[in-house]
Amino acid sequence: MESDNNIPVISVKELVKRFGSRLVLDGISIDIEKGKTTAIIGPSGCGKTVLMKHMIALERPTSGSVYFKDHRIDNLSQKQLAGIRANYGFLFQGGALFDSLTVFENIIFPIRQRRKIKNFKEIEELVKSKLALVGLDGFQTQYPANLSGGQKKRVALARAIALDPKVILYDEPTTGLDPLRSDIINELILKLQRELSVTSIVVTHDMNSAFKIADRILMLHEGKIIADGDADYIRSHPDSIVQQFIKGTVGEAELAALRQAGTRTRT
Amino acid sequence: MIESIGRNTIGLINGVGMFGRFSARTVATSCASLLQPKTYPLIWLQMYNIGVKSVGVVMVTGAFVGMILAIQGYDQLHSMGLEERMGLLINISVVKELGPVLVAVMLAGRVGGALTAELGTMNVTEQIAAVESMGTDPVKYLVAPRVIACLLLTPVLIVYADMLGILGGYFEGVIQHKINSAAYWNYSAHGVELWDIGVGLTKGFFFGAAIATIGCYKGFNCKEGAQGVGQACTEAFVASFIAILAINYTFVVVAKAIYDTFWIGESLL
Ligand SMILES: Nc1ncnc2c1ncn2[C@@H]1O[C@H](COP(=O)(O)OP(=O)(O)OP(=O)(O)O)[C@@H](O)[C@H]1O
Ligand SMILES: [Mg+2]
Repeated sequence: MESDNNIPVISVKELVKRFGSRLVLDGISIDIEKGKTTAIIGPSGCGKTVLMKHMIALERPTSGSVYFKDHRIDNLSQKQLAGIRANYGFLFQGGALFDSLTVFENIIFPIRQRRKIKNFKEIEELVKSKLALVGLDGFQTQYPANLSGGQKKRVALARAIALDPKVILYDEPTTGLDPLRSDIINELILKLQRELSVTSIVVTHDMNSAFKIADRILMLHEGKIIADGDADYIRSHPDSIVQQFIKGTVGEAELAALRQAGTRTRT
Repeated sequence: MIESIGRNTIGLINGVGMFGRFSARTVATSCASLLQPKTYPLIWLQMYNIGVKSVGVVMVTGAFVGMILAIQGYDQLHSMGLEERMGLLINISVVKELGPVLVAVMLAGRVGGALTAELGTMNVTEQIAAVESMGTDPVKYLVAPRVIACLLLTPVLIVYADMLGILGGYFEGVIQHKINSAAYWNYSAHGVELWDIGVGLTKGFFFGAAIATIGCYKGFNCKEGAQGVGQACTEAFVASFIAILAINYTFVVVAKAIYDTFWIGESLL
């Protein structure tokens, strides 16, 4: 049991990923500690989602390897992965709700796939409590098409935590939510970590959220990790790329490019 | 020039290989699904979507084919005084070839297109990845029920089309053109063997499996966006259509060889 606490929950080693000739991840190595919340930040399109999908073997590496505890998972077949994936909850960036199923059916999907549902009352209670966590109790019979973008995201979050997974991967949990909702989600992530000692990995653009929830922040840039440490370390990081990103200020080069490109076409 | 031919060839071989792997996985998973009662509700649902909703259109197709064959055939046969044999001509064409092939083409458009669009949209919106992320094999959850439903129901739909085709021919021949009814049926019964019906229905299994597998494969590999889904549907229909013709050709050749060697003419009635 003791040794179980020492090995990282997820471990990525020398991960390289190419799509055709495009190099997206260039030799990434990370160990994710048990019970900690890790935030991954970085500019749009830098490969955060791709990296996160490797951690649950939804994408396969071009080279390198990925481990869950001490099982190598990147070369497993669909069937072998089924058992491992039961430990995970994954919140997709776009929600990925099943649009032919109601909110209720969406949330019980992972439960239904694992075991036969006998006590229906209990399941109803469970769905109710998970929806209440994201502030959407009462939406059980709605179809995803009738929900707003932010509501879909929250239902997807409820689905991701339905089975009380040990590891939760959140892909931009607060994007598209109002500030108040965002903070509720932040509190939810903290609560899950405190009460169920969940290991969380959060991809986010929202620096407030990252500083609030993360024990450790990684910054991804051009396929490499350029900064790795706790909130204070990142705040005072010397690299100008990191500083620009966390402060949300535009660099001289981008400004020059903006100035060059006219907003009106001259005749 | 040579480079582009090379690239296309490699792409084609790649595509065939991927489709082969996908089909093998589908077959294995479908066989396993048939042994697991847990998956039956999914299959039922697909049977309703694929089968029940197609009955009407398939029956209309069959009826028109029968009637048109009768109209076209009547003059030819009448000029030779052979119109009483028209039942044989129509029924054997309907049961052996036109029924199965037209039903399959109909389904390739109606069912194959819907499958590709549905799974393609699910792929683009990451719903397939979501199924996978929850530890469920998407081939088992999404593909196998559709393939099984399509495979089991295509022969049934062919029976409907055959029946209506036969009735359509009867209506045109006997009722409109006043061919002697008893003679019409007599010739039909002597000419159409159980073998012919069997071949027609057996084709149905293969057509159904091919349509659903191709539809699902194209959906699973569909490109982003509305255009990607549209393109996948078109490709799925064209590929299914070619597959139907190819399977049909193979079947005719093989069935004829088997018939010539083994069948000891046992006619209906
Ligand atoms: N299936 C794929 N095929 C080809 N290229 C892909 C695929 N998935 C991702 N990419 C490419 O990989 C790069 C990284 O994508 P990714 O979705 O990880 O970005 P991201 O960091 O999550 O961005 P955002 O913050 O906007 O979500 C992008 O340039 C994208 O074009
Ligand atoms: Mg992303």
